[in-house]
Amino acid sequence: MSTDDRIHKQRIADGLEEPTREANELARKLGLDPFDVNYWIVDYDEMNELIAYGGFQQRYPHWRWGMKYDRQRKQSQFLGGKAFEIVNNDDPSNAFLQESNELADQKAVITHVEAHADFFKNNEWFRMFGTSPEAAAMLERHADAIAEYMDDPEVSREDVEEWIDHVLCLEDNIDQHQPFATAEEWRDESPTPDDIDEKLDELELSEEVRREVFDEEWLDSVDDEEGGPTFPPSPERDLLAFLTSHGKAYDGDSGRAIEYEEWQREILELLRKEAYYFAPQKMTKVMNEGWAAYHESRMMADENFAAADEFLSYADHMAQVLGSPGLNPYKLGFELWQYVENRRNRREVIEHLLRVEGVSWRNFNDTVDLDSVLGLLEPDPVVRDPVGHLEELDPDDPRIDGETLARARDPDDDVDVETYPWKLLTYEGLAERHYSLVKREHRGFLKRVTQNELERTARYLFDTERYDSVEAAIEAVDRSAGWNRMFEIRESHNDVTFLDAFLTDEFVENNDYFTYEYTHTTDDFRVTSTDAADVKKKLMLRFTNFGKPTIAVKDGNFRNRNELLLIHQYNGVQLDLTEARQTLERVFELWGRPVALKTIVKEFDEHDVEVARRRDSEPEPTEQGKLIRFDGERFEEEDLDDAAIEEIAASGLDYDTKPDEWL
Amino acid sequence: MGRKDDLERYREVGEAKRQDLSEFIQYGDLGDSRPDEVKVPIKIVDLPSFVYDPRDMGGVGQGQGGTPDVGDPVGEPEEGAADGDEDGDGEEPGEESGEHEYYEMDPEEFARELDEELGLDLDPKGKKVIEEKEGDFTDITRSGPASTLDFERLFKKGLKRKLAMDFDESYVEEALRVEGWGPATVFEWARGEHVPVSRAWIDDAYESIPRSERSRWDSIEEMEANVEREPTAARIRRDGIDQVPFRSDDERYRYPEIIEEREKNVVVINIRDVSGSMREAKRELVERTFTPLDWYLTGKYDNAEFVYIAHDADAWEVEREEFFGIRSGGGTRISSAYELAAEVLEAEYPWAEWNRYVFAAGDSENSSNDTEQRVIPLMEEIPANLHAYVETQPSGNAINATHAQEIEEHFGRDSNVAVAYVQGPDDVVGAIDTVLSTEDDDT
Repeated sequence: MSTDDRIHKQRIADGLEEPTREANELARKLGLDPFDVNYWIVDYDEMNELIAYGGFQQRYPHWRWGMKYDRQRKQSQFLGGKAFEIVNNDDPSNAFLQESNELADQKAVITHVEAHADFFKNNEWFRMFGTSPEAAAMLERHADAIAEYMDDPEVSREDVEEWIDHVLCLEDNIDQHQPFATAEEWRDESPTPDDIDEKLDELELSEEVRREVFDEEWLDSVDDEEGGPTFPPSPERDLLAFLTSHGKAYDGDSGRAIEYEEWQREILELLRKEAYYFAPQKMTKVMNEGWAAYHESRMMADENFAAADEFLSYADHMAQVLGSPGLNPYKLGFELWQYVENRRNRREVIEHLLRVEGVSWRNFNDTVDLDSVLGLLEPDPVVRDPVGHLEELDPDDPRIDGETLARARDPDDDVDVETYPWKLLTYEGLAERHYSLVKREHRGFLKRVTQNELERTARYLFDTERYDSVEAAIEAVDRSAGWNRMFEIRESHNDVTFLDAFLTDEFVENNDYFTYEYTHTTDDFRVTSTDAADVKKKLMLRFTNFGKPTIAVKDGNFRNRNELLLIHQYNGVQLDLTEARQTLERVFELWGRPVALKTIVKEFDEHDVEVARRRDSEPEPTEQGKLIRFDGERFEEEDLDDAAIEEIAASGLDYDTKPDEWL
Repeated sequence: MGRKDDLERYREVGEAKRQDLSEFIQYGDLGDSRPDEVKVPIKIVDLPSFVYDPRDMGGVGQGQGGTPDVGDPVGEPEEGAADGDEDGDGEEPGEESGEHEYYEMDPEEFARELDEELGLDLDPKGKKVIEEKEGDFTDITRSGPASTLDFERLFKKGLKRKLAMDFDESYVEEALRVEGWGPATVFEWARGEHVPVSRAWIDDAYESIPRSERSRWDSIEEMEANVEREPTAARIRRDGIDQVPFRSDDERYRYPEIIEEREKNVVVINIRDVSGSMREAKRELVERTFTPLDWYLTGKYDNAEFVYIAHDADAWEVEREEFFGIRSGGGTRISSAYELAAEVLEAEYPWAEWNRYVFAAGDSENSSNDTEQRVIPLMEEIPANLHAYVETQPSGNAINATHAQEIEEHFGRDSNVAVAYVQGPDDVVGAIDTVLSTEDDDT
């Protein structure tokens, strides 16, 4: 870096010192609890590089970083060079700001980053990897280790890279819902066929007893029908762990499976660990991005963190991010979080109103004027404009930050409440100040409460406190209820559970979501449903298991010949068979012996397709079990009968959203 | 290691995985490339993994201002996400959408690869002198900027001069100590001995020799017998050189050799029959043949220009973008295109300065006698490195479609005229090979 460059970056950094400090303080007031964040100013090229390398400066040498960098560079060229931010999950987190961004963008990025850092720290799925990620150090260690193997004259860079390729093909084939355990720990917990013999030995039984009790028949009973003992005992989803423990390399010269070289085993382990490190981010993309967008908006727009002249630029940026077409995780997440907030707030209001004397869920609409309720819910002028009411503020009011108030009233103190009025408020005060139900864009939300929801709410209501009037009930409403709920959810959910819980009919209808399917009749994708249940089904498919099919190790001693049998746990959506075969070729390299995959494919009868076309309907596929086996040279495919696929067949799952009457 | 390395490895891996060039030319999507950048799809750039069949998976979209109706087409599903903003591992769920990856090569690389693939070696010829370039600094002159002074030469000359002027001073002094010899006699003697000494030096030396020593030797013979004369080289080795006499006469300055750089100019005339009989399939075959030829020649020459001529019964010049798409209703008179080509070449691309390639394509249909009476004479009149006619006739020969045959019969094999037949994509590479390997080396 040249001196000029450094000075330039330093100047930008100096200018951002106050925004970063204030953003952090505001974030904490809003209830966030982020990791400390180190901010770095980088130029355009460095930004592209960081994005390509997954947010870290040190990664192992591999061509795909080059590919990502190349893509990123071209892509951001087309997008006018606006790469906004990148922040990595580490303690402290590191966030990178692009020097060419305008101040408004930098501020937006900072507020966004603080929310990500909060999510990294507090979402419990991230703790699956351990209490502290120590990511940068770990990745750098991995980089050094792999670079060292590449430098080893005994091992060629190409071989190492190819081995990495094999492993990366399976990087999502881990058990991401389990806490990370090293391959060794994993092995210790998973019995192998040898263990049975060992266990029997340990029992120190006499030969006679052994022959008597654990006879051939018994041993056979733990064997599968092919004749060999089956392991693992139940299907194992962590393919990488299984391979690390039991895999071999294929030696082309001798045509035999041989033990892994040390470098092969170590690389497999390192990459498996990285897969576990990155898994939580992939599992919480919608939540995390939505969370960041939500708080960015709260801080930038609602708390005027963008100065008046910067706001337009900010709004433009926000519109760009949220407005990109298709299914956009930022937008989906942002909208869902707002929905969570609104729904909890509404519930809080309804619960209070239903306890007003004379109000029941049956007569709710006749007895309660929701317009006047909205009026009552408007924030107190004191929290709406604390600076304008400086003299009236009560330091003992739980909504008021007494300490700041004292400073603001002290003429010698320079606390800037004009610019940062939120400093005068507490979390509670801010919750009232930003109360969602009275915001212009959400004003209709309270009124959209259904009879059904009223009834349900009433049923679960403890009939403890009663209110004499609507006014008294609203007075008792906890304005923080929505926010509190959001914090609980950000702690315990992942995208799948989040969507499952909050993607309601109301949400889908209000946001114009729809499903699409491929249709044989027209040979293109068509809108198939706008029904909330269908949309949800499709979304769940896309977010469950990284949007990928579930593959598990069924047997490491398939055909009693140490072949590997994988099963595809079929959920009604078939595999991309071309890619599956290509992946099997990679698995072969990691297993060293023949590999097979049991799956179900949908076959269409040509005649049916033709008939369907004429009738403007869709042909019905036949679900056919298949065993695809690769022995290192060629593929064999074998149709399986229904009994053989019983264990992998879907039960009660149907991701097809096509209507019966079609087109 | 680091980014530079990883990028380079990506290039290598990408190259290994790109589509085979012949396959690309025959069946690939040529439309994604530009004249200056050939994009060959990379077969599988992303690593495979277990994924759902995208068709069977379907998906979810969000309506832009309203929910669409069931049955509306949605186009190719987009995995839209604002990519400007990513945290940590930037993978979107479902990022692996079927986005095409390309291995990009410039036309130079394309030409090299095609040479390799087809075993060609077309050596572009230089025509016009475009600049006198400075070559190596091998010529010399007596004056010039100090930085170009050939010091090595100056030193050698000085050293030579020094050696030439040097003599064994003590030996000459001994001669002055011969009984009866004065400076004049010694000078005479020294000249006879080829000692480069001046009379003045001898006079000075004589003055400095004490009188008592002036008769040390009885005769010059006695002196020569007793005093050994030391050769210059030995003395320099012993004493070193105190001073090399540099003379301005010896100064030489280097200056660069002038090299005539011949620019390799090429003009390619692409002629295409756009008459009614040239249907979609034929048009596409022309594009598949001409486009790689254009890339190849662009890659081979420093400066390539293209002229696109469309014709039915008349000919007119068009832009590249339109060239392969045009379709008109009229009849066919191929000579109209050659007339226009001759005109354009004459006016803008003089044969003395330009390599010329004239490629024509069509379905071999022509108005009667036009080939024999007009086209062939015109082809003979237009000087060019290569003339080619590519017949695109998916169904094999049609009646009256004899243009290609007539040309082939007239010019024969040993000429600068190539005729190639393309019935389907499989023939394209062969046709390109035929065209490019025909160029007559004598032109």
